[in-house]
Amino acid sequence: MSGEVETTRKPVPAADELTRPFWDAARAGRLVIQRCSACGYYNHPPRNFCDACLARELAFTPVSGRGAVFSFTVMHQRDVAGFENDAPFINIVVEIAEQPMLMMVANLPIGERERVRIGAPVEVCFEDRGDGVAIPQFRII
Amino acid sequence: MGSLTDKYCIVGVGETPHMRPSNRTTLSMACEAVSKAVADAGLKLSDIDGMTSYQIGDSTTSPHVATALGMRLNYAVDILGGGSSGEALVAHAIGLIEAGYCKTMVIFRAMNGRSGRRMGGQTPGGPIPVAVAEGDGQFNMGWGWTTPAQRFGMSAMRYLRDTGCTTRAFAEIAVAHRYHASLNPKAIHRSPITIEDHQRSRWIVKPFRLLDCCQETDVSVAIVVTSRERAFDLRHPPVFIMGGYARTLTDSPQWNYSRDEIHYVAGNYGWKRAFGMAGISHKDVDFISCYDAFTFTTLIQLEANGFCGKGEAGEFVKGGRLRIDRELPSNLSGGHLSEGYTHGVQMVIENVRQLRHRADDACPGWAEGRHTYDRKAGCRQLRKADICCGMGWGWENMASCLILRGIAA
Repeated sequence: MSGEVETTRKPVPAADELTRPFWDAARAGRLVIQRCSACGYYNHPPRNFCDACLARELAFTPVSGRGAVFSFTVMHQRDVAGFENDAPFINIVVEIAEQPMLMMVANLPIGERERVRIGAPVEVCFEDRGDGVAIPQFRII
Repeated sequence: MGSLTDKYCIVGVGETPHMRPSNRTTLSMACEAVSKAVADAGLKLSDIDGMTSYQIGDSTTSPHVATALGMRLNYAVDILGGGSSGEALVAHAIGLIEAGYCKTMVIFRAMNGRSGRRMGGQTPGGPIPVAVAEGDGQFNMGWGWTTPAQRFGMSAMRYLRDTGCTTRAFAEIAVAHRYHASLNPKAIHRSPITIEDHQRSRWIVKPFRLLDCCQETDVSVAIVVTSRERAFDLRHPPVFIMGGYARTLTDSPQWNYSRDEIHYVAGNYGWKRAFGMAGISHKDVDFISCYDAFTFTTLIQLEANGFCGKGEAGEFVKGGRLRIDRELPSNLSGGHLSEGYTHGVQMVIENVRQLRHRADDACPGWAEGRHTYDRKAGCRQLRKADICCGMGWGWENMASCLILRGIAA
């Protein structure tokens, strides 16, 4: 598409009491995921009860940051707040290496259109969003 | 439901025209749809003593509509809901009437779904700015992954890879539902399309093209539910409620919560209850409706509700199987893809009309149930329309179903 349109700011995550450790770690360039102290299951996004055993003892734990593209979309519309001038862009859902179906959303520049495929190996990187906020991203390796 | 099977009926249906834009308030449209549904039942507004609706903060409420129409309700509530809520509120109505809270209920949905708030957070002027992403939004909005097309697209891309199905299966849905819309004077898009038209249409969110996506419209829809005893005295033959479900999964609607196969949706866990209540099997179903927000969602619902095996829907729909006069006609009004977008209730309305044998088509005698069955002349009434399975859903984790029968079944 051609022609810039007025763009809104990309949404900034509002950390809450449950998610703050995740965003604090991201700012420091580390990827952490809640892990159940009772059964070892990883849970993401952060929650109050373990998905596998419903225990409440969940501790943010560093993970490898490696994974694979589980699925992807290519957005062609300027319909998303903060991404009006980014279209077309690629979204991926990454299956994190530590556990099957442990998923995290990210996006890739459209230049990766030829390389993105289901199963492509990825690793985490971090994107600075200003005001002391960084979000995890993934790049194809 | 068990002993409640066939004890409650849908006796009235009504809607406003699908508009883009309506230039009306949701209150004005809701009053029209409710009044039409009540009149269709052969009732007066004063005969209605219960009202419910569902919305996402984009609509008027039951007390407002009741006030505007001078109705005194014994029960009114408005719930937060979407694609699976219409069928769910029918179950709710049965419970309320059975419990004695009220006797005859109207359920409505009113939305300026095109000119007002659109699904995914847009308005006609562009996206609604979002400064901060709170709650679950923290884990998708920052990456620009928000619209329904993006979210269902993610499941669809993986589905294509896992099943070997191609987007030509998506096209089958678009073509069948558009053909039905061509027989529906109320539909927004009535020109028949081909598989190739679908394949040539532009990308919205790959793997979805323009013709994979529903037609957002401004509209209100309403249905009237009452007990079997009252139903027999009314204007039309009753349509009996045989069974249904309104089911959730433990997974959140957020895709990145999924733990099961991606195309495992709530319907997988509900259909046996619905068919068990109704006492029927799939072969007894003459036609279906499904929540076709996207072509793909029809495929998933066919699998989830047991009409075909997992991963088999692409093959199942091949060759026009969902078209009128074929094995399993689907969305006979054209559905969300071609008629317009009402968060599901328009399908219930069409199913009721088909079961009454009074599809409002081009046949001069349709209102008296006289149909030609000549598709070239614009007749869309099924010859045999005795039992229908209507399927709804919101996100992957919410699904509903409503099995209905006409007087002949």
